[in-house]
Amino acid sequence: MWVAQVLVNALVLGCLYACISIGFSLVWGVLNVINLIHGSFIVLGSYLAFGLYQSMSISPWYALIVAAPLFFVFGYLLQLLLLNRVINAPVLVTLTLTFGLDLILNNAMIYFFKADYRKLTLNPPMGSLSLFGVVVPVDRLIATVAALALTGLLYLLLRRLRVGRAIVAVRLDRDAAVLMGVNVKSIHAIAFGLGAALAGCAGVLMALIYPISPLTSSTFLGKAFVVCVLGGLGSVSGALAGGLLLALVEGVGTTFLGPEYATTLSFILLIIFLIVRPQGLLGRKGFE
Amino acid sequence: MFGWKWVRCSAFLGSAALAIAALSASASGARAEDVIRFGAPLPLTGPLAPEGIKQKQGYDLWAEQANKAGGISVGGKKYKVEIVYSDYQSNTPRAVQTTEQMITQDNVNFMFGAFGSGAAKAASTISEKYKVPTIAAAASSSQVYDQGYKYFFGTFTPNDTLTTPLTKIIKDKAPDVKKVAILARNDLFPLAIAQEEEKSAKANGFDVVYFEKYAIGTLDFSAVLSQMKSLSPQWIFVTGYVNDLLLVRKQMVDQQMKAPVVTMIAGPAYQDFIDSAGKSAENLTSASWWHPAEEYQGKDVFGSTSNFVKLFRAKYHSEPDYGQASASVSGALFQLAIEKANSLDRDKVRDALANMNTVTFWGPVRFGANGQINSLEPPVFQIQNAKAVVLFPDAIKQGDLKLGVE
Repeated sequence: MWVAQVLVNALVLGCLYACISIGFSLVWGVLNVINLIHGSFIVLGSYLAFGLYQSMSISPWYALIVAAPLFFVFGYLLQLLLLNRVINAPVLVTLTLTFGLDLILNNAMIYFFKADYRKLTLNPPMGSLSLFGVVVPVDRLIATVAALALTGLLYLLLRRLRVGRAIVAVRLDRDAAVLMGVNVKSIHAIAFGLGAALAGCAGVLMALIYPISPLTSSTFLGKAFVVCVLGGLGSVSGALAGGLLLALVEGVGTTFLGPEYATTLSFILLIIFLIVRPQGLLGRKGFE
Repeated sequence: MFGWKWVRCSAFLGSAALAIAALSASASGARAEDVIRFGAPLPLTGPLAPEGIKQKQGYDLWAEQANKAGGISVGGKKYKVEIVYSDYQSNTPRAVQTTEQMITQDNVNFMFGAFGSGAAKAASTISEKYKVPTIAAAASSSQVYDQGYKYFFGTFTPNDTLTTPLTKIIKDKAPDVKKVAILARNDLFPLAIAQEEEKSAKANGFDVVYFEKYAIGTLDFSAVLSQMKSLSPQWIFVTGYVNDLLLVRKQMVDQQMKAPVVTMIAGPAYQDFIDSAGKSAENLTSASWWHPAEEYQGKDVFGSTSNFVKLFRAKYHSEPDYGQASASVSGALFQLAIEKANSLDRDKVRDALANMNTVTFWGPVRFGANGQINSLEPPVFQIQNAKAVVLFPDAIKQGDLKLGVE
């Protein structure tokens, strides 16, 4: 029975990993920017959910509605005012800029919120569902559904909406997009804003599951990085596939080799992918 | 005429300058004499910064209290306490470097050890070379004290003093508990504690059905816990830091894992763990070198454990843990030793520390021949009704072990 439990755990965890990674993948895919602030955006989203719940008893589900526009505007402005200035520079320059911005944001969070770990505990707790001896915590289940919904929404946005097609066009061929009348700077800012909004929403959902501290941002960032490489850059469904693969490898690795080797195993997988299939599971040039 | 005036004027100015120089020299001489300087190398930035900052709070509180009481008396004269800090950025080689700098350039009288067993051991080589008495406030491993050093002392007992009393209590009070599962963070201190627990569990007739290590930065324990659950252990023993243990505890509740006894080290020793874990902290057992729930009447500047806790709360608006208390007691022990020696001579203070036999708010203090404290009985405690209740030692016991963690 516990084998079924391990598989269900991996499925749920995989969706959480996808949730953490979608925004990161979008920004990397469209802007060719390795956004190192992503982890801190997630933690900031968690603090937002924690603060709203503690001070005004606002449920994290409503916090999602607050977080999405707030983080979108934050990301949009950041791209418009700062990142757009160096967007055509070599990737190392944008990497350094986001690294610096991450240091500022992370240390500001340590200054204002302290490094202590906090936990958002719902009252009453949501508990777990039990089916044929397999237990699934409700908060994780909701986060899983939310991750799937966010993935689906982003997919639809990129496929159906005019702005989405413009994002894909910029990704495919920036010069051709300019010739077609696409405002590339604005599209970059929208894509970065979307990435930030997805990170903020992921943060709100993670607040229900993980202890909150600025110190956890690098762990989230590390997972997002691995998931993107496994799933394929710039592919929305790739983030989901990468998340599921990573969670499955970690779960099976933990069960058969011990928890000590789970991380080692996931990084060995990463190296194998980089050598054998650098485009990842579902990586393609566009967003189809 | 003008020349003569010039000579007189310059002679006056010269003597005035000399007088000012002499005055300031005597003033700085007086300052140097009336102050005792303590060197404290700490990891104030980098990964160990949260612990380093806590340690600094402990030293600062002691310095403030010692100075408020007039200072440290030596030969009928009161000396103010001054702590010289340096940030070694969580980098052990830099801790060694900065210790040497404090002794040779900042002219500190005495030293506090660097944070943690590894850095404290590395830096102790320097203070031993210059024969500067040093008290380490956060070094428990016995390997730190096996170098035959004469000037190095520590306030933490060896790791097995945390696990052995706990195991004995569970053996006595919960005779039905036989199967133990141990999960350890693969990190110096948490792993050492888990290995000690494995030893003491086996020595006391328990069956260790599971022993695994998890990597630093683990984001999910569901696979580990499912596997552990399938073995139905009656005692679950997990080591790690606050973030790991909060996550493990949350996922245990998620997976509806129950056991008569669940022990976590070092989470429940910290108030932020108890606050964050809420109801799920109920009946968790733990052990640490000190706990604010203890009560000792001491001969040190703080007087009693409750007074120390009161002063700490007033200054920092939070609950002290063993890290901060150990830093404060290290200062208080120096103060007792200097006053006993009635001298600032390093050798005399070293002898006073070596022969110390006293009670402080931290507990009874005597150092073994290796410099490590051997008088302390670290408390075993349990979270009952959101409060830590001391189960051991008997002298300060506040309640009995309750079974059942849900």
